[in-house]
Amino acid sequence: MERKKIFIIEDEEKIREELKNFLFRYGYEVESSIDFQNIIELALKSNSHLILLDINLPYFDGYYVCREIRRRSNIPIIVVTSRDSEIDELMSMNLGADDFITKPYNTQILLARISSILRRAYNENDSEIIEYKDLILDLSKSEVTFKGNKIELSKNENKILYILLKNKEKIVSRNYIIEELWQSDEFIDDNTLTVNVNRLRKKLEEVGAYDYLKTKRGQGYIILWE
Amino acid sequence: MGVAKYLEGKIIFLIINISSVAFSAILLKAFNVNLNLIIFTTALNLTGGLIFYIFDYFSKSNYFKEVIKNLENLDKKYLISDITEKADFLEGRILNEIIKKATKSMNDEISQIKRNIDDYREYIELWVHEVKTPIAASKLIIENNKSEVTKSIEEEINKIDNYIEQALFYTRSNSTEKDYIIKKYKLRTIVNKVIRRNASVFIAKRIHIETENLDQEIYSDSKWLEFILNQIMINSIKYMNKEEKKLKIYAENLGENVILNIQDNGIGIAEKDIVKIFEKGYTGENGRIFSKSTGMGLYLCKKLCDNLGLGIKIASEEGVGTIVSINFSINKMLIFQ
Repeated sequence: MERKKIFIIEDEEKIREELKNFLFRYGYEVESSIDFQNIIELALKSNSHLILLDINLPYFDGYYVCREIRRRSNIPIIVVTSRDSEIDELMSMNLGADDFITKPYNTQILLARISSILRRAYNENDSEIIEYKDLILDLSKSEVTFKGNKIELSKNENKILYILLKNKEKIVSRNYIIEELWQSDEFIDDNTLTVNVNRLRKKLEEVGAYDYLKTKRGQGYIILWE
Repeated sequence: MGVAKYLEGKIIFLIINISSVAFSAILLKAFNVNLNLIIFTTALNLTGGLIFYIFDYFSKSNYFKEVIKNLENLDKKYLISDITEKADFLEGRILNEIIKKATKSMNDEISQIKRNIDDYREYIELWVHEVKTPIAASKLIIENNKSEVTKSIEEEINKIDNYIEQALFYTRSNSTEKDYIIKKYKLRTIVNKVIRRNASVFIAKRIHIETENLDQEIYSDSKWLEFILNQIMINSIKYMNKEEKKLKIYAENLGENVILNIQDNGIGIAEKDIVKIFEKGYTGENGRIFSKSTGMGLYLCKKLCDNLGLGIKIASEEGVGTIVSINFSINKMLIFQ
């Protein structure tokens, strides 16, 4: 899967650098610039998929930058600001921003918003289907197929399998799965996760996918077939 | 201004008046003037005096009656000088002048204080935005360098963040101007946002969250409401003591009202503390025993709810749990008045 590119417009050096590291770790390509006089041109020329825009900037006000970018491109813009009144949010939305996040942001929420906006903007139908060896997950239909055998998954099972497949052959901690589910408003607890994973495993076995979903005691779960 | 009061004020003049009339009558009698003439002169003098007092009484009494009536109808009493007509007698005019000057000086003083408050408020807003940048940077640094140590620092930073937000909303709640925008929201949208915001604590403390019937539409300012719900949830988290921790958030639609309930199974609140729970700085027994509390969270919730026209109340049983209920009025006339 091709890496999506994010352009960061942020004058605070530490935030810019840490944000770059953070987003890079989560699979994004990141670009930024400190040439705020020409930041609009640079952002547009960078061929990014999304812009993270701070409002307090040198040279130009972030609202102006937002309006100018929107005038010339449809690239998704997320406004990131420490001003958190309803008025600021309305203003950003009216100037063409796609989303509005207030500092200090919860990093999980930031990631969730970025990925949902990217999905919406680029209509990622192809990424709705994930394959691993003989296992095929159709996220939109909530259906898993193994060697021609199909079985339907519940909402939570679907999401859990998606998270595991996205991190295939890597151990995913229970907390990480729970947090991911919470960010899509499924407020499940530890016990529910155990129940859901067990059910998911049973369903995988029903279609013949034995030993795909493994429990790593004290660490989490992994999708791996050797 | 009654007649008796008026006469009482004029008592010296009345005595002088009457005694001079009496004296002149005695004098005329001493000069052997015709009795009829004396009676006529005395009556004339007394009538003249009486006419003066009647006229004087009614002009003053009418004027002051009007002024007092206006004052009573006035919401802001200090505006009285603006709506008072000029008196047509000397004392009245002098009084007009005095009130006018006093009011002007008072108004100058008030607008100076208002300006100071607004300046201060602006400064706090600016300060809050500024301090959020280093907090955001710290959180990112922590995120990129996860360890037991940074995790512990993050918890402290989240506390700082909450205190800063309280300061911001304290200032906003005291603002002289309206600082919110009422829009239509689904309760679920706002509730979920606040749950997600506290996700890591809820998950780490293994708190079971249950939501029910939240597809109700309400009218409010989302930022203010988020703050209120966040304070309530932080309180619930703080005072959870059971093995199985539960937080249930559910709404009831009563036609004209929607009630949002946030119910926990924490330590509960003593009956004697409940009455004072919304008072500024009131910490109660829990605040003293379990964890440090500033007594600001619920005070602010109540104040913001009052500003937004929402009802808020708390019911609790010690050892069993607490329910905080917020009452949203759905009556549109009330909202857009």
